[in-house]
Amino acid sequence: MILYTPLAQSDIFPPSSDDYTNRHCITHEGRLMLADRTSDGGYQMVQLLSTNPYDFLEERFTPGNILS
Amino acid sequence: MMEKEPEKKDEQSSSSSLVEKIQQLGQVNVPQAPDTNIHVLSIIGQVEGHVQLPPQNKTTKYEHLLPQLIAIEQNPKIQGVIILLNTVGGDVEAGLALSEMIASISKPTVSIVLGGGHSIGVPIAVSTNYSFIVPTATMTIHPVRLTGLVIGVPQTFEYLDKMQERVIQFVIQHSNIKEEKFKDLMFAKGNLTRDIGTNVIGVDAVKYGLIDEVGGVSDAMKKINELIEQNSSMMEESRVIQ
Repeated sequence: MILYTPLAQSDIFPPSSDDYTNRHCITHEGRLMLADRTSDGGYQMVQLLSTNPYDFLEERFTPGNILS
Repeated sequence: MMEKEPEKKDEQSSSSSLVEKIQQLGQVNVPQAPDTNIHVLSIIGQVEGHVQLPPQNKTTKYEHLLPQLIAIEQNPKIQGVIILLNTVGGDVEAGLALSEMIASISKPTVSIVLGGGHSIGVPIAVSTNYSFIVPTATMTIHPVRLTGLVIGVPQTFEYLDKMQERVIQFVIQHSNIKEEKFKDLMFAKGNLTRDIGTNVIGVDAVKYGLIDEVGGVSDAMKKINELIEQNSSMMEESRVIQ
Protein backbone atom coordinates (compact mmCIF):
# COMPACT_ATOMS: atom_id res chain seq x y z
CA MET A 1 0.00 0.00 0.00
CA ILE A 2 1.36 3.44 -0.87
CA LEU A 3 -0.08 6.46 0.89
CA TYR A 4 0.71 9.90 -0.44
CA THR A 5 -0.38 12.39 2.14
CA PRO A 6 0.91 15.49 3.86
CA LEU A 7 -0.31 14.10 7.19
CA ALA A 8 2.05 12.49 9.69
CA GLN A 9 1.95 8.72 9.89
CA SER A 10 0.81 8.92 13.48
CA ASP A 11 -2.23 10.97 12.42
CA ILE A 12 -3.38 8.20 10.11
CA PHE A 13 -2.36 5.23 12.23
CA PRO A 14 -2.65 6.47 15.78
CA PRO A 15 -0.38 4.48 18.11
CA SER A 16 -2.09 2.40 20.77
CA SER A 17 -1.71 3.58 24.33
CA ASP A 18 0.22 0.35 25.06
CA ASP A 19 3.05 1.70 22.93
CA TYR A 20 3.48 4.60 25.29
CA THR A 21 3.08 2.69 28.55
CA ASN A 22 5.44 -0.15 27.61
CA ARG A 23 8.46 2.04 26.87
CA HIS A 24 10.43 3.07 29.93
CA CYS A 25 13.56 5.01 30.60
CA ILE A 26 15.48 3.01 33.19
CA THR A 27 18.92 2.87 34.78
CA HIS A 28 20.60 -0.51 34.49
CA GLU A 29 24.13 -1.08 35.82
CA GLY A 30 24.61 2.67 36.06
CA ARG A 31 23.65 3.33 32.45
CA LEU A 32 20.56 5.16 31.33
CA MET A 33 18.61 3.27 28.68
CA LEU A 34 15.26 2.99 26.98
CA ALA A 35 13.63 -0.39 27.46
CA ASP A 36 10.36 -2.10 26.61
CA ARG A 37 8.52 -4.04 29.28
CA THR A 38 8.08 -7.63 28.11
CA SER A 39 5.00 -9.71 28.78
CA ASP A 40 6.77 -11.72 31.49
CA GLY A 41 7.57 -8.56 33.46
CA GLY A 42 11.20 -8.18 32.39
CA TYR A 43 12.76 -5.49 30.26
CA GLN A 44 14.12 -5.68 26.75
CA MET A 45 16.64 -3.01 25.92
CA VAL A 46 15.82 -0.63 23.06
CA GLN A 47 18.44 2.10 23.13
CA LEU A 48 21.43 2.90 25.27
CA LEU A 49 21.68 6.54 26.30
CA SER A 50 25.35 7.08 26.97
CA THR A 51 28.05 9.40 25.72
CA ASN A 52 30.83 6.89 26.36
CA PRO A 53 31.51 5.22 23.01
CA TYR A 54 32.96 2.16 24.75
CA ASP A 55 29.64 1.45 26.46
CA PHE A 56 28.31 0.64 23.02
CA LEU A 57 30.98 -2.02 22.57
CA GLU A 58 29.93 -3.89 25.69
CA GLU A 59 27.80 -6.86 24.85
CA ARG A 60 25.71 -6.34 27.98
CA PHE A 61 24.39 -3.12 26.44
CA THR A 62 23.47 -4.31 22.97
CA PRO A 63 19.93 -3.45 21.89
CA GLY A 64 17.56 -6.39 22.14
CA ASN A 65 19.23 -7.68 25.27
CA ILE A 66 16.93 -9.00 27.95
CA LEU A 67 17.88 -7.12 31.10
CA SER A 68 18.09 -9.08 34.32
CA MET B 1 33.68 -35.99 40.74
CA MET B 2 32.66 -32.96 42.78
CA GLU B 3 35.06 -30.79 40.86
CA LYS B 4 33.79 -31.75 37.46
CA GLU B 5 30.18 -30.85 38.19
CA PRO B 6 30.37 -27.01 38.20
CA GLU B 7 32.53 -27.00 35.11
CA LYS B 8 29.83 -28.81 33.18
CA LYS B 9 27.20 -26.39 34.41
CA ASP B 10 29.31 -23.46 33.31
CA GLU B 11 29.68 -24.85 29.84
CA GLN B 12 25.93 -25.31 29.59
CA SER B 13 25.07 -21.81 30.70
CA SER B 14 27.64 -20.24 28.40
CA SER B 15 26.26 -22.12 25.41
CA SER B 16 22.70 -21.13 26.27
CA SER B 17 23.69 -17.47 26.62
CA LEU B 18 25.34 -17.75 23.22
CA VAL B 19 22.08 -19.00 21.73
CA GLU B 20 20.23 -16.16 23.46
CA LYS B 21 22.64 -13.63 22.02
CA ILE B 22 22.22 -14.95 18.49
CA GLN B 23 18.46 -14.78 18.90
CA GLN B 24 18.64 -11.20 20.12
CA LEU B 25 20.81 -9.50 17.57
CA GLY B 26 22.53 -12.09 15.44
CA GLN B 27 25.90 -11.14 16.86
CA VAL B 28 28.19 -13.07 19.11
CA ASN B 29 31.25 -11.20 20.15
CA VAL B 30 31.99 -7.55 20.80
CA PRO B 31 35.48 -6.40 21.79
CA GLN B 32 36.12 -4.93 25.23
CA ALA B 33 37.85 -1.59 25.52
CA PRO B 34 39.43 0.69 28.16
CA ASP B 35 38.29 4.20 29.13
CA THR B 36 38.22 7.04 26.62
CA ASN B 37 38.84 10.77 26.96
CA ILE B 38 36.56 11.63 24.05
CA HIS B 39 32.83 11.19 24.47
CA VAL B 40 30.24 10.98 21.73
CA LEU B 41 26.81 12.53 21.70
CA SER B 42 24.55 11.36 18.91
CA ILE B 43 21.58 13.45 17.85
CA ILE B 44 19.39 11.21 15.77
CA GLY B 45 15.86 11.16 14.40
CA GLN B 46 13.69 13.99 15.62
CA VAL B 47 14.66 16.49 18.25
CA GLU B 48 11.84 15.98 20.72
CA GLY B 49 10.53 18.98 22.59
CA HIS B 50 7.59 19.47 24.90
CA VAL B 51 5.38 16.89 23.19
CA GLN B 52 6.25 13.23 23.48
CA LEU B 53 6.25 11.57 20.07
CA PRO B 54 4.90 8.04 19.54
CA PRO B 55 7.49 5.32 20.26
CA GLN B 56 7.88 4.31 16.61
CA ASN B 57 9.57 7.66 16.00
CA LYS B 58 13.27 7.73 16.61
CA THR B 59 13.84 10.76 18.78
CA THR B 60 16.49 12.62 20.71
CA LYS B 61 15.06 13.86 23.98
CA TYR B 62 16.58 17.02 25.40
CA GLU B 63 15.91 15.92 28.96
CA HIS B 64 18.36 13.06 28.34
CA LEU B 65 21.02 15.10 26.58
CA LEU B 66 21.18 18.17 28.85
CA PRO B 67 22.27 16.19 31.96
CA GLN B 68 24.75 14.25 29.82
CA LEU B 69 26.29 17.52 28.67
CA ILE B 70 26.59 18.67 32.30
CA ALA B 71 28.23 15.36 33.16
CA ILE B 72 30.70 15.85 30.30
CA GLU B 73 31.55 19.34 31.55
CA GLN B 74 32.00 18.09 35.11
CA ASN B 75 34.01 14.94 34.46
CA PRO B 76 37.76 15.77 34.37
CA LYS B 77 38.51 12.50 32.53
CA ILE B 78 36.51 13.68 29.51
CA GLN B 79 38.59 16.07 27.43
CA GLY B 80 36.52 16.44 24.29
CA VAL B 81 33.13 15.75 22.74
CA ILE B 82 32.14 14.68 19.26
CA ILE B 83 28.57 15.41 18.20
CA LEU B 84 27.16 13.04 15.59
CA LEU B 85 24.21 14.49 13.73
CA ASN B 86 21.68 12.69 11.61
CA THR B 87 18.46 14.49 12.33
CA VAL B 88 15.40 15.72 10.48
CA GLY B 89 15.01 18.60 12.91
CA GLY B 90 12.17 19.03 15.34
CA ASP B 91 11.31 21.30 18.24
CA VAL B 92 12.93 24.71 17.80
CA GLU B 93 13.35 25.55 21.46
CA ALA B 94 14.69 22.11 22.39
CA GLY B 95 17.16 22.39 19.51
CA LEU B 96 18.24 25.86 20.55
CA ALA B 97 18.65 24.69 24.14
CA LEU B 98 20.95 21.89 22.98
CA SER B 99 22.90 24.26 20.72
CA GLU B 100 23.45 26.75 23.54
CA MET B 101 24.56 23.97 25.90
CA ILE B 102 27.07 22.63 23.37
CA ALA B 103 28.31 26.14 22.53
CA SER B 104 28.93 26.97 26.19
CA ILE B 105 30.86 23.81 27.11
CA SER B 106 34.45 24.65 28.05
CA LYS B 107 35.88 21.48 26.49
CA PRO B 108 36.68 21.15 22.78
CA THR B 109 33.71 20.08 20.66
CA VAL B 110 33.58 18.84 17.08
CA SER B 111 30.47 17.95 15.08
CA ILE B 112 30.01 15.66 12.09
CA VAL B 113 26.88 15.93 9.96
CA LEU B 114 26.09 12.50 8.50
CA GLY B 115 23.15 11.85 6.23
CA GLY B 116 21.19 14.91 7.21
CA GLY B 117 21.30 17.79 9.63
CA HIS B 118 18.07 19.48 8.70
CA SER B 119 16.10 22.38 10.09
CA ILE B 120 16.99 22.83 13.78
CA GLY B 121 19.93 20.46 13.18
CA VAL B 122 21.70 23.44 11.54
CA PRO B 123 22.25 25.46 14.76
CA ILE B 124 23.25 22.26 16.58
CA ALA B 125 25.84 21.49 13.88
CA VAL B 126 27.39 24.97 14.01
CA SER B 127 27.36 25.21 17.83
CA THR B 128 30.61 23.24 18.16
CA ASN B 129 34.17 24.65 17.99
CA TYR B 130 34.67 23.00 14.62
CA SER B 131 32.17 21.36 12.29
CA PHE B 132 32.48 18.69 9.63
CA ILE B 133 30.05 17.48 7.02
CA VAL B 134 30.42 14.33 4.92
CA PRO B 135 30.14 14.98 1.16
CA THR B 136 26.81 13.16 0.84
CA ALA B 137 25.09 14.83 3.80
CA THR B 138 22.49 17.55 3.33
CA MET B 139 21.11 20.34 5.46
CA THR B 140 17.68 21.81 4.85
CA ILE B 141 17.38 25.46 5.75
CA HIS B 142 13.80 26.70 5.97
CA PRO B 143 11.70 29.17 7.95
CA VAL B 144 10.17 28.26 11.31
CA ARG B 145 6.75 26.66 10.97
CA LEU B 146 4.22 25.39 13.39
CA THR B 147 1.37 22.94 13.46
CA GLY B 148 -1.61 23.17 15.76
CA LEU B 149 -4.09 25.73 16.87
CA VAL B 150 -3.42 29.37 16.02
CA ILE B 151 -5.53 31.79 18.07
CA GLY B 152 -4.17 35.29 17.50
CA VAL B 153 -2.71 35.45 14.02
CA PRO B 154 -0.69 38.73 14.28
CA GLN B 155 0.68 37.73 17.68
CA THR B 156 1.59 34.26 16.45
CA PHE B 157 3.35 35.73 13.45
CA GLU B 158 5.29 38.06 15.70
CA TYR B 159 6.22 35.19 18.00
CA LEU B 160 7.38 32.96 15.14
CA ASP B 161 9.30 35.82 13.59
CA LYS B 162 11.19 36.39 16.84
CA MET B 163 11.85 32.68 17.21
CA GLN B 164 13.24 32.60 13.69
CA GLU B 165 15.43 35.59 14.42
CA ARG B 166 16.93 33.73 17.40
CA VAL B 167 17.81 30.79 15.15
CA ILE B 168 19.34 33.05 12.50
CA GLN B 169 21.36 35.01 15.06
CA PHE B 170 22.69 31.84 16.65
CA VAL B 171 23.78 30.38 13.31
CA ILE B 172 25.54 33.52 12.08
CA GLN B 173 27.30 33.97 15.42
CA HIS B 174 28.62 30.42 15.48
CA SER B 175 29.53 29.94 11.81
CA ASN B 176 31.15 31.93 9.01
CA ILE B 177 27.97 32.39 6.99
CA LYS B 178 26.74 35.94 6.40
CA GLU B 179 23.26 36.88 7.58
CA GLU B 180 22.30 37.93 4.07
CA LYS B 181 23.32 34.59 2.59
CA PHE B 182 21.60 32.54 5.29
CA LYS B 183 18.34 34.43 4.82
CA ASP B 184 18.62 34.02 1.05
CA LEU B 185 18.88 30.26 1.51
CA MET B 186 16.07 30.22 4.05
CA PHE B 187 13.56 32.05 1.88
CA ALA B 188 14.57 30.67 -1.53
CA LYS B 189 11.68 29.58 -3.74
CA GLY B 190 11.54 26.65 -6.12
CA ASN B 191 14.08 24.41 -4.39
CA LEU B 192 11.83 22.40 -2.08
CA THR B 193 8.64 20.80 -3.34
CA ARG B 194 6.22 21.91 -0.68
CA ASP B 195 8.12 24.59 1.15
CA ILE B 196 10.40 27.55 0.78
CA GLY B 197 14.04 27.09 1.69
CA THR B 198 17.12 25.31 0.37
CA ASN B 199 18.58 21.85 0.65
CA VAL B 200 22.31 22.47 1.04
CA ILE B 201 24.65 19.58 0.16
CA GLY B 202 27.95 18.88 1.97
CA VAL B 203 30.39 20.79 -0.23
CA ASP B 204 28.01 23.75 -0.64
CA ALA B 205 27.52 24.02 3.13
CA VAL B 206 31.28 24.56 3.41
CA LYS B 207 31.30 26.97 0.47
CA TYR B 208 28.60 29.13 2.11
CA GLY B 209 30.58 29.19 5.37
CA LEU B 210 27.94 27.30 7.31
CA ILE B 211 30.19 24.32 8.07
CA ASP B 212 33.97 24.51 8.52
CA GLU B 213 35.15 21.53 6.50
CA VAL B 214 34.11 18.52 4.43
CA GLY B 215 35.28 15.38 6.19
CA GLY B 216 34.46 12.24 8.08
CA VAL B 217 35.46 10.37 11.21
CA SER B 218 39.24 10.45 10.80
CA ASP B 219 39.26 14.20 10.13
CA ALA B 220 37.05 14.82 13.12
CA MET B 221 39.22 12.69 15.41
CA LYS B 222 42.34 14.46 14.22
CA LYS B 223 40.74 17.85 14.80
CA ILE B 224 39.45 17.02 18.28
CA ASN B 225 42.83 15.69 19.37
CA GLU B 226 44.41 18.88 18.07
CA LEU B 227 41.89 21.01 19.97
CA ILE B 228 42.40 18.94 23.14
CA GLU B 229 46.15 19.51 22.89
CA GLN B 230 45.64 23.26 22.43
CA ASN B 231 43.20 23.33 25.33
CA SER B 232 45.54 21.48 27.70
CA SER B 233 48.56 23.62 26.77
CA MET B 234 46.47 26.74 27.42
CA MET B 235 45.46 25.36 30.82
CA GLU B 236 49.10 24.63 31.57
CA GLU B 237 50.08 28.21 30.66
CA SER B 238 47.43 29.74 32.89
CA ARG B 239 48.62 27.51 35.72
CA VAL B 240 52.19 28.73 35.27
CA ILE B 241 51.04 32.38 35.33
CA GLN B 242 49.09 31.77 38.52
